[in-house]
Amino acid sequence: MRGESVYVKSSISRSAMLVFVLLPILAGVCKAEVVPMDTLIPKYVNGWRSDHHDATYDRKTLYDYIDGGAEVYLAYGFRQVFARRFVRNSKPSITADLFDMGSSADAYGIFSFEREGDDVGVGQASEYAAGFLRFWKGDFFVSILADEETPDSRKAVMALGQTIASRIKSEGERPAIVSLLPAEDLIRTSIRYFHEKSGLDYHYFIADKNILGLGKHTEVVLAEYKIGSSKSRLLLVRYPKAAEALAAFSDFKAAYMPEAGEDAVVRTENGKWAAARLRRNLVIAAFDAPTEEAAKTLLRRVADRTEVSEK
Amino acid sequence: MNVITRRDFMRGAASAALAAAVGFPAAVEAQNVKKSRVVLIRDANVLDARGRVDTKTLGVMLDTAVAKLLGKSDAASAWKSLVSPKDFVGIKTNVWERLRTPPELEEIISNRLLVKVGVPKNKVFCDDRGSREKFEASTALINVRPARAHHWSGMGGCIKNYIILSANPSSYHPDACASLATVWQLPIVKGKTRLNILVLLTPQFYGRGAHSFDPRYVWQYKGLAVSLDPVAVDAVGAHLLRTKRIQYFGEDKPITPTTHIAVADHKYGLGVSDLNRIELIKLGWAKDVLI
Repeated sequence: MRGESVYVKSSISRSAMLVFVLLPILAGVCKAEVVPMDTLIPKYVNGWRSDHHDATYDRKTLYDYIDGGAEVYLAYGFRQVFARRFVRNSKPSITADLFDMGSSADAYGIFSFEREGDDVGVGQASEYAAGFLRFWKGDFFVSILADEETPDSRKAVMALGQTIASRIKSEGERPAIVSLLPAEDLIRTSIRYFHEKSGLDYHYFIADKNILGLGKHTEVVLAEYKIGSSKSRLLLVRYPKAAEALAAFSDFKAAYMPEAGEDAVVRTENGKWAAARLRRNLVIAAFDAPTEEAAKTLLRRVADRTEVSEK
Repeated sequence: MNVITRRDFMRGAASAALAAAVGFPAAVEAQNVKKSRVVLIRDANVLDARGRVDTKTLGVMLDTAVAKLLGKSDAASAWKSLVSPKDFVGIKTNVWERLRTPPELEEIISNRLLVKVGVPKNKVFCDDRGSREKFEASTALINVRPARAHHWSGMGGCIKNYIILSANPSSYHPDACASLATVWQLPIVKGKTRLNILVLLTPQFYGRGAHSFDPRYVWQYKGLAVSLDPVAVDAVGAHLLRTKRIQYFGEDKPITPTTHIAVADHKYGLGVSDLNRIELIKLGWAKDVLI
């Protein structure tokens, strides 16, 4: 599939969008944000030029482009990706992929899913290593990969990233659930935001069955905490309704900590502590805490932050 | 709900293969069951510093490994015991651009079939993306591809290499590709595979990014693993990649569990996935063998 794709700001139906766009144009003023995706990526950068084989892939055709990683994007609200390859004589080629993730929450989410490094100042958050720049801004996640890192290709990758980021005009919000993570002891690069069980299996396998009832409807955030010399994990799952959270909490307790009492705290077989708590439509769970108190403290801090956010 | 949890792995109450799939040390299981043989061969001279293949060395490696696998004294008799001159042979390769089966290896396999076995040239096809059409009339398959960390199945190996022979490859992707072994039940595949070659010249032990590739996570291991059992050779490959991740990162970085390897054994009976039921024969260069 080749050619130009058009990014249409979400939350309005296509027909409504058409009316919304045409009326201002007829009036001589275009207020709607309708941005062709190919215009967000330049055709030249630092001596590299587009190879004129742009391609666009949607949810049905993404497998044609990404072998092995498509499902990660499909587990979010991915809509389409615009891909442009840059070439320069006897220099490594560079591939820029612009992913429309459908929402800023999911643009942040796909960025967080593999985040490892510190920010390098591109877009709303970014990282760079070994010729590979990734960042998010607005509804977009951007991946720029040089086939080989050289001083020149590194500069070109960074320049390309800065240009794309500057052409994406709108910024987006991080998912609100992320702000419920307590800041103390948090390893910031470990924050993962996703929706489905596959995301949890990837980062921290809990069970073969979907005992937390995760799916497209759930918001999940997983993060690591450095408590003393050990690494603990905190998991938050937000459900659309409190009744769903209650059911998931009950299933989780029954499967993962059947011996736990009302306080839902257990010492697991690795000598660490796990604890869980239900708070309205939110299930909170701590794993691998070094002490019972540490596990409870993590949960309490989240609960305190939910109080604050609700006031 | 019959659930296997993380805690079951902590207490060693789940199968070794499933434990390995989710990153726990394998528990010891019963020994009185079927074993599969995997031959791992390495040679320090098969690649130069820039990764270029020494074809002669690679050919010797393959011949030596195949003969050892089959208990034959020479390569010709080993290849002849795998394939008949009457066979129509499909060499299922993998051409993923960032880490493909080396063309030199494809040539070597073709050469062995043509020269050592005597299969007519018009009955040997090597293909990947066009294999579904070209292999329809095949009577024998040689399965060859590199080992690499794979975002959704945990590892791209020999079991997964046949996914493109199905009409709808993406239908095998749910649940971390758990049902991949069913590809091996398709008529185009079933009962035809004579040899599995997992290419470990430059395996990819971890993947990141939209294309699940990062050159930092590829290393020159300079090996080949061969087996009649696709599950066993993949289990060895997954073990190697995990061991390398632990060596490189100081801990096992998260990847998608390689559940499909265990499931191929325990649910579909395609082969052996438990490492202590695999007879691993190591030949050649021993430095940094890791497993």
